[in-house]
Amino acid sequence: MTMTKNTMPALSSAIAIEGLHHNYGANAVLRGLDLTVRRGEIYALLGGNGAGKSTTLSALLGFLTPEAGTVRVCGIDPVADPHAARATMAYVPENVSLYEHLTARENIGYFLALAGAERGRDAIESGLAAVGLAPEAWDKRLSGFSKGMRQKVAIALALARDVPVLLLDEPTSGLDPRAVLEFNRLLDAAREREVAVLMVTHDIVSAVDIADRIGFLGQGRIEDEREASANGPRFDLNALHDSYAHAGAPA
Amino acid sequence: MSAAGLIAREEWRVLARNRAGLIASALLVLLILVASFTSLERRSAIEADRERYQASTDETFDEQPDRHPHRMVHYGQFVFRPIAPLAFFDAGVDSFTGNTIFLEGHRQNSANFAEARQSSLLLRFGQLTPAFVLQTLAPLLVIFLAFASVAREKERATLKLMLAQGVSGRSVIAGKLLGHGAIALMIGLPAFAVLITFAATGAAGWGSVALMILGYAAWLLLWAALGVLVSALAGRPRDALAILIGLWMVVVILLPRALPEAASAQEQLATKIETEIALHRDLLEIGDSHDPDDPYFNDFKQEVLAEYGVDSVEELPVQYAGLVSIEGERLTTQIYADAAEHQIASEAKQNAFVHAFSVASPLIAIRQVSMALAGSDPAAHYDFLDQAESFRYDFVQQLNRMQAELLPGIGGDDPRISAAYWQQVPRFTYQPRDPLARPDSLVWPFAVLLGWLAALGALAILVARRIGRAAR
Repeated sequence: MTMTKNTMPALSSAIAIEGLHHNYGANAVLRGLDLTVRRGEIYALLGGNGAGKSTTLSALLGFLTPEAGTVRVCGIDPVADPHAARATMAYVPENVSLYEHLTARENIGYFLALAGAERGRDAIESGLAAVGLAPEAWDKRLSGFSKGMRQKVAIALALARDVPVLLLDEPTSGLDPRAVLEFNRLLDAAREREVAVLMVTHDIVSAVDIADRIGFLGQGRIEDEREASANGPRFDLNALHDSYAHAGAPA
Repeated sequence: MSAAGLIAREEWRVLARNRAGLIASALLVLLILVASFTSLERRSAIEADRERYQASTDETFDEQPDRHPHRMVHYGQFVFRPIAPLAFFDAGVDSFTGNTIFLEGHRQNSANFAEARQSSLLLRFGQLTPAFVLQTLAPLLVIFLAFASVAREKERATLKLMLAQGVSGRSVIAGKLLGHGAIALMIGLPAFAVLITFAATGAAGWGSVALMILGYAAWLLLWAALGVLVSALAGRPRDALAILIGLWMVVVILLPRALPEAASAQEQLATKIETEIALHRDLLEIGDSHDPDDPYFNDFKQEVLAEYGVDSVEELPVQYAGLVSIEGERLTTQIYADAAEHQIASEAKQNAFVHAFSVASPLIAIRQVSMALAGSDPAAHYDFLDQAESFRYDFVQQLNRMQAELLPGIGGDDPRISAAYWQQVPRFTYQPRDPLARPDSLVWPFAVLLGWLAALGALAILVARRIGRAAR
């Protein structure tokens, strides 16, 4: 059963990670990661290659069993009950993986049906329109789509799930500036609907534009975290660049 | 609809939009229909020839003039084995065993006129039957359609997206198995339709047809399951394809040929020449009825004289030479029967060895099921030989009795009996055995096929458990 924002348990943190450790063989990727994302908050997790950003998403999705620590999504342990946890999340992967032989509309319809969240034709069309995909592309197979167009379809699918948690892996890569603006507007709307958004990205500029908090992942944990200011510029860009540059560097 | 149902339906949509897959499927369906049609035509032509030749030889036998009965013993009779109705579907060993025997006194001849000996085309290319298409080519198509079913999802990360929607690994594997199982059965459907139509006309029994469809359905489902599970275990679609083609080569090509070779090494059969020499030696040991000093026939003569209460063969009311022929035929038949029994026992040991290893190659199991139900297996051939030999013995002894009983009343240097007697000699009519009369021969191969399906079912459970980890 899909858990929508209306049925979400009343928790202050939709995502709660404490002391998370995970190794790939001898390589310790996460070493005591603590991270929370509140409802109605957009959290941008920044880090270099191999910092553990995608591993963090895999842990939230229940695709791996951590060596230590706890992970909760809407209060559900994704290791103990991955299906219940996944019912509360929508996920947009970095390299959008949808079916080439299906149209945009068919892809969304199929994955929504798999999630047990069938939506009517109008809902799917309004989702595709919301992400800025031209109507003439809705019934075309994805084999002819650009990376940006696929990204839009995947985002439309994630938003159509109407779940309390949104996980985004490099969501703006491949999007042109206008599409990034449209995407930010969609995230704003999600925030208003009390959706908790965790986006992992390399792109500090897009994070600055939309995130409420930005965390820098280095040495397998959050090394620095900045919160958007309510007044004046949202973030001190110089300080962010400095934190990003030093994330993962030896102390 | 359940997630498994949705995934299965998606596999059908993939096939419907895959031009190469559709063309290959259409070609295989066409091949099955062509094979069915040509096999039926071939069977009809052979049956028409058989009926014509049988009528012709019977007529020629009846038209023989007044003769000494022993000349008719050597004139002999040709007998023909009718082809079993379902042999059009699976020719089995029929093409190699022959379906005609020349029956005569003093000896057992082997069956002749095997199609393989007369048709160079058959020797070079094999016979195109629906069974050949289903056993050899259909698995290749099933593999071709299933090898990427899960591996492609892993490679393109759609599997991860599916699981992220809350779909379980069990639903993924169940959906893929359901989708490709149905596709495999669709591939077999034209052949099943031909069998059902054939049964509906009354030409074949419903029981045999139902079991044959069940066997081939299990065979095709087995390959669909193998295709999906290997695809789930392999890292990439091309790895899955390479593994599946390798499996096909071992299961369908290598083992069914290597195992009979191994069986021959385990239980060696005498060559034709060795058998002939051994038989000749045994026949010589019986004795010579023309030798006045031969101990066996001297004893036989004394027994006959005592039985009739006379002192010499000239006083017998029956012709002594005729009695010697009856006794000689009894003895030689026993020798041939012993040799045949020994040969069949050795072949049975070889077959048992091969069938035991059908656990490794289920092709042997489906072949055994198919041939047995089609009435074209070695057991059906042996049954024909048994019935023909039994008939030969009765027919020769009847002529020998005519010689013993009728000739003393005729006398003369060249005694003959009336040609009217030839029409009293019975004609051979083969009574086909019901394949279902001995169901024990079907139990093991069906157990092998169902065992493979059960083992693949257990493997599917393990694969479904690890599919979540593979998505990482």
